[in-house]
Amino acid sequence: MVTSAGSPAHRDTTAISCWATASPYGLGASAFRAGLMTKQAAVRPLPEELRAGGPHEEGGWVPDFDIKAVLGRKGTRSMDRLTALTVATVGMLLRSAGPGLAEDHPEAMGLVIGSGHGSVKSIMDFTKESMTSALPYHVDPGSVPNTVMNRAASQSAISHSIKGPNVTVSAGVLTGLIALNYATALLRQRRAEAVLVGASEEYSAQRSWLAQRADAGDGQQTSGPLGEGSVLLLLEPASRAVAYGRPVLAEVVASRFTAFTEPEGAQRSLARSVTGALQEARASPDQVTLVVPSDRGGYLGDYENAALSAVLSDHRPQLVLTRALIGDMSAAAAAFQLAAALVHANTGGLALVTSVDPGGNAGCTLLRLPAASS
Amino acid sequence: MPFKNPPSPLADETKNTIKEIVCDILEIEDDEMTDVSLFIDEHDMDSLRAIEILAAIEKRLNVTIEQEEMARMVNLEGVYAVVEQAARN
Repeated sequence: MVTSAGSPAHRDTTAISCWATASPYGLGASAFRAGLMTKQAAVRPLPEELRAGGPHEEGGWVPDFDIKAVLGRKGTRSMDRLTALTVATVGMLLRSAGPGLAEDHPEAMGLVIGSGHGSVKSIMDFTKESMTSALPYHVDPGSVPNTVMNRAASQSAISHSIKGPNVTVSAGVLTGLIALNYATALLRQRRAEAVLVGASEEYSAQRSWLAQRADAGDGQQTSGPLGEGSVLLLLEPASRAVAYGRPVLAEVVASRFTAFTEPEGAQRSLARSVTGALQEARASPDQVTLVVPSDRGGYLGDYENAALSAVLSDHRPQLVLTRALIGDMSAAAAAFQLAAALVHANTGGLALVTSVDPGGNAGCTLLRLPAASS
Repeated sequence: MPFKNPPSPLADETKNTIKEIVCDILEIEDDEMTDVSLFIDEHDMDSLRAIEILAAIEKRLNVTIEQEEMARMVNLEGVYAVVEQAARN
């Protein structure tokens, strides 16, 4: 049925109306905001139980995150840290966002979670138990759900009665941006009335070893210290946010993703992404007031900076860097960049969030920020 | 006079181990469970928890329990009987 063919091409904008995070600054958006605004370094020595013989001595770890203390005893016995961080963050978001969500319209709520590999610790621990026990099936069946990558998304939906589309997205360090675009598509195609979208990573010695070994043959693009945490954004049509009394913190305007096959292709690839997103937004580079790059350092960082200089020319928007403060968030990196943009979203204009992945992908998302009102 | 439920010959230590395993998996305190309280109806056990209990007992007590025995493992008494039989085999 086509009902809008003859009507004006007015389309409700897609709004971010609330967000929550479990970050290296602690639980809650306000802790993250305070840490970022004061540029407090949250990368610090890892406690022994987290370091667990891994190669990195420091990391951006979520403090005081005892799973049973945060989520209670029921249903947490076999829950891994990645799942618990996600379930806790979804809970914080639903509590702070108010009405019209999972409690009132569970079938209308979607959930899109970005993840690297799920929990590499859970996967490796389970395999190890099978190989080292007296019999190969002497394993803990309760750990099986932890070994699939959609564990965090599915458990969050179960724990919080979210019964709409449930999606897990994995796309390297771009994950948060791809997940946001996926969630936007769900809304625009009316698969859901509102979508919780974000990404999560847990710190583990296993992830730390993988990151370090992945860098070993490279020499230019070193990893670590690693960060961990979860960011969830509430995405819904702007009119719906207003109807439920939520502010429009930012509007999702456009995303572009491109590929490259040689490292030096990263610069041109990202420049094409940014130019394309600006074109779709019918905006000029001087309307960009805030840039949050992936800030990966090494040659990819250089190419990212070069691409931004080429597109923005003499224009110098405010630059927000998070990696040195909270660590390399891997698959949650871009979601934390989006959260960082929301922390600084008091300028009006456009926020540009960019990301470059060593696997050969680059991309960006443009957010329209509300004009400063006070 | 026959016993309605013949006393299980399992050692108390083994029974305690089993109860500890079951209470841990069902996430309840020891005193919330009796020998006859029902795992599904009274302690919210689902099929995954049932498999967890079976697997944990097999590993801790070094016994092999056939999957069809799960039907009898409705409460601690049922588990004791299954383990006792498995230990004899």
